[in-house]
Amino acid sequence: MQKLVIEKTSSTPYIHFDGDAGYLQIKGESYPENVAKFYTPILEWIRNYLDQESKEMTVEFKITYFNSSTSKVFMTILDLLEQGVIKGRKVSVKWMCDEDNDIAIECGEEFKEDLNQLPFTVEVVKGEE
Amino acid sequence: MELSLYNLYKDLKAQKILLCYSGPIAQASIEGVGDTLRRNLEFEEARNATTLAVFSIFIEQAQNVLNYSAEKLNKADEDEKELRIGVVVIGYEDTGDYFVYCGNRVYNGDIPRIKSNLEHLRNLNKDELKVLYKERRRMEREPGSKGAGLGLIEMARKSEVPLGYSFEKIDEVFSFFSIKVVVGR
Repeated sequence: MQKLVIEKTSSTPYIHFDGDAGYLQIKGESYPENVAKFYTPILEWIRNYLDQESKEMTVEFKITYFNSSTSKVFMTILDLLEQGVIKGRKVSVKWMCDEDNDIAIECGEEFKEDLNQLPFTVEVVKGEE
Repeated sequence: MELSLYNLYKDLKAQKILLCYSGPIAQASIEGVGDTLRRNLEFEEARNATTLAVFSIFIEQAQNVLNYSAEKLNKADEDEKELRIGVVVIGYEDTGDYFVYCGNRVYNGDIPRIKSNLEHLRNLNKDELKVLYKERRRMEREPGSKGAGLGLIEMARKSEVPLGYSFEKIDEVFSFFSIKVVVGR
């Protein structure tokens, strides 16, 4: 599958989806005016990838801040990935946050609480941007 | 009479207002003002979590104005370029905590729905708010709704005290709705 790269803006994150490597990275901040419009292509991409490919998939979130409507879309993404796992795909998610960002750490933990089958780890890193 | 900006400035200072935005609001203004607000809080050496909490409430409130204010400027078929009008104010409580107020026009007919929603949130503790937030996060978006319906719950979760609110009648059609959130320093 082709690569999908979307550069970051002040209210939307950097998106890097490498189909060959089975790697998706979402990095930055997310509070767009129209969350559905921004995330629809990304959701499509994940759906297609899970349907067409059989490779292992790694997803990395490095999000310093996201608004409440983004939180809903992230849940949708995670549910989609969990469906993949239930159907037998190998998928894992890393939620990365800075040790100073208590809110981001807590948000990661709250996503984790709501997932049963999807391997989801919260990784606290020191002094990264 | 001439407008006395100095009086306005003094009033804002006297009410311990750090920042006030009033008028048409667009996503670009939210991003710009939000960034300035964050830098200001960093100068004041507020804790990281405090800065992010104040910023996030500002974003939820301003985006609520953008999605729901009953006072708007738009041209037909140009939903994306629409502007909506509201007021957002950030300042200090006497205790040193931060307050974030937001106000905009609403239709009188919508008041009972907004009020019962807010009263419900005011009666929940932090654990119950968390449960409600998670439930709502997995629910289907209401057709035609621009938001996820999570903004008020998010504000309630971050507020030190139950959400404050008021409705002041403007005329037979509109009232002015304001909401207040307090973030611990």
